Amino acid sequence: MTDPLIALIAGILIIGFLSYIFWPNFGLSDKLKRWTQDTERVQIEDALKHLYDCEYRNISCTINSIAGNLSINADRAAKLVSRLEALGLLAIQGEVLQLTAQGRSYALRIIRVHRLWERYLADETSTKELDWHDIAEKQEHLFTPEQADKLAAQIGNPVYDPHGDPIPSSKGDLPTKKGKPLNEMLPGEFANIIHIEDEPPAIYSQILAQGLYPGMQIRVLEVSDKRIKFEANGEECVLSPIIAKNITVGIIQLEKQVEGKYKVLSSLKVGEKGTVLGIAKALRGQQRRRLMDLGIVPGTEIEAQLESLNRDPVAYKVRGAVIAIRKQQADRIYLESKESEKG
Amino acid sequence: MNNHNVNREAILAAANNLRWEVGENLHDTLMESIYENATAIARKAVIYPDKKPAFSFDRTLDKILTSKYFGFPLMLLILGAVFWVTIEGANIPSGLIASLLVDTLHPLLKNFTNSFMPWWLSGVLIDGAYLAMAWVVSVMLPPMAIFFPVYTLLEDFGYLPRVAFNMDPLYKKVGAHGKQALTMAMGFGCNAAGIVATRVIDSPREKLIAIITNNFSLCNGRWPTQILISTIFIGGIAPAYLTGLVSAAAVVFVAILGITFSLVVSWILSKTILRGEASAFSLELPPYRPPRILQTLYTSLIDRTIFVLWRAVIFAVPAGMVIWLAANITIDGVSIANHFINWANPFALIFGLNGVILLAYIIAIPANEIVIPTVLMLTVANLGLSSVGAGSGVMFELDSVADTASILHAGGWTLLTGINLMLFSLLHNPCSTTIYTIYKETKSVKWTLISTLLPIAMGFSVTFFVTQIWRLVVGS
Repeated sequence: MTDPLIALIAGILIIGFLSYIFWPNFGLSDKLKRWTQDTERVQIEDALKHLYDCEYRNISCTINSIAGNLSINADRAAKLVSRLEALGLLAIQGEVLQLTAQGRSYALRIIRVHRLWERYLADETSTKELDWHDIAEKQEHLFTPEQADKLAAQIGNPVYDPHGDPIPSSKGDLPTKKGKPLNEMLPGEFANIIHIEDEPPAIYSQILAQGLYPGMQIRVLEVSDKRIKFEANGEECVLSPIIAKNITVGIIQLEKQVEGKYKVLSSLKVGEKGTVLGIAKALRGQQRRRLMDLGIVPGTEIEAQLESLNRDPVAYKVRGAVIAIRKQQADRIYLESKESEKG
Repeated sequence: MNNHNVNREAILAAANNLRWEVGENLHDTLMESIYENATAIARKAVIYPDKKPAFSFDRTLDKILTSKYFGFPLMLLILGAVFWVTIEGANIPSGLIASLLVDTLHPLLKNFTNSFMPWWLSGVLIDGAYLAMAWVVSVMLPPMAIFFPVYTLLEDFGYLPRVAFNMDPLYKKVGAHGKQALTMAMGFGCNAAGIVATRVIDSPREKLIAIITNNFSLCNGRWPTQILISTIFIGGIAPAYLTGLVSAAAVVFVAILGITFSLVVSWILSKTILRGEASAFSLELPPYRPPRILQTLYTSLIDRTIFVLWRAVIFAVPAGMVIWLAANITIDGVSIANHFINWANPFALIFGLNGVILLAYIIAIPANEIVIPTVLMLTVANLGLSSVGAGSGVMFELDSVADTASILHAGGWTLLTGINLMLFSLLHNPCSTTIYTIYKETKSVKWTLISTLLPIAMGFSVTFFVTQIWRLVVGS
């Protein structure tokens, strides 16, 4: 028999070695997979997407901006561009690069898959918000148009992705761009967030940290070069203009102009009652449908009845039934505050 | 016709444009306004009789069952009682079925088939296939026929949603669904049934986590192994008057270890390959109601017991044949089973197990119930003891624990082997019935493979480290 100490050390080494290779996402095998997947096709498709994005936002696109967007050097970007031209996807006019009709429809196909996937991840899975983009970025190169149509049908042919971007139809149609950046708003204006740009991730995660999401109703309080102050769901938010630029707002369906603070469901203590005002747009897909199926819609009376350990989840009495809801969701269900209840 | 098509295209395109205009909240807005109107009408038209519940039985019971101090102890107590009823209650019917199928019917069938079949054919069919099936039925049927109805009664009464409510904070922390507590409890009865039960979880990510970790619930087929080995090896080192208590504690410890593993693995999965956060959890806590006993008995027997038993039988029959053949086909005068045992022994010893155990677990993939009978049969055959047993390739079980102990000690088993067998019984691949069910539920080879290989990799790692540390501390 081997010496137990040597066996022990050997065992630890073997496990360490195996996890070095196979650890999900960080392991050698996954790195290798990513590296081999970074093929020419992926680069072509990413470049097309970038070109389309420039076109949509009315800014000009150059070899350098492609190099920056794909994180490759200028030489490789130049080669990529000539390859795109040879494929008939791109027309070069001096410095400016322009998509051909063929290139545009190719780009829209990729964008359709990307946005459908983000929508699917947001609605049907519990994937973290910050991971949506990365997963969609991988899937967009693997899906055929037929698969995309199937996915779209499965999730009810959505027209917007969770960031508020329109999803191209299977014919490649897109509506015209609407709304304006948050930093161009005037104090006192009401608006809805219609789009939050998910790139770069550093800024996107800061926006997420503020709890902002498309569909949210805001009221601008103060706009200056240094900061933009606004009220969102009754709480004050302050953003720098650089970040605010990535949020697009528009005046869409403001059926109820709610001013001042309103309470969230999780603030109810056991035995207290409230009236539901609405469910935040951040709760979507299955989660939202399920809550609405249970009768949590505007006007419903709700009473906190039972607490679990650490007050999470809490059971509420809704329309005669007792429903346990986690704090994460209860934070996003709004109640009429006392004052408005009287009026 | 062509004109018609063009028209249709134009209408569809216009409709699509309108959908962008309207935005994505149309359905919600519609639904909300319907509810709003309905509530307004109901408020005017419906008069509620002014009756206040004099004594709210439900709320009082809820306060106790989910309270900070009594919630968890009561839960453990109730689940413990369910297991106790299952184990104790199953003993007698198990014995009766075994004596009918194994002691009475087996010799009859054997004599009958021997009269016209060659010895090897009646061996494969009767000693192999029939006997394996008989073991599975006699060991599995009574506990399942007790456990599933009792479990369904608790469900019907309304207690199980409260368990999920109590356990939810733990599952939320590991990024899993609160209802995983229910499927885990179901797994204590049978992992295959537990995996079918994961259908109550809507989110695909959390459903997969529940499926992969379900195997960490000790199922009925493994309880007998745990109890027997714990009685022989762990109860054996305690003073006689404590034997029962100590061995029961050891089994409960292994079960709790399983729950811990299921939480830890859920956490690791939701950080790595199944990244994500715990999704919405809305659980209805229905009012308590008296269970409908007859209906419950009927549905749980048909839906769960018979269903699981049938699958187990299908898989046990070929396994029985393999066992018989392995013990009876000889190469150079030594049976295949012995060849394997001798070959695997050095490897198995690193993990504190032995070749017999490994072979038994390979043969017993179809049904965990036959592990102990197979281990005994193989040990006897391997040692060449002729005084006990029922002939080569014939599974048997001994009436007394002491007899079993003496055979295992003769096979070179130590306390360490016992502990490792208990650990390995907790952490090894699911039985083939469960693997097949996982495939049916996930429709994915990848997830089926992961659910199969992950526990076995963990089992080998855990037994390996336990063995080496044991040898370092205690000496071999």
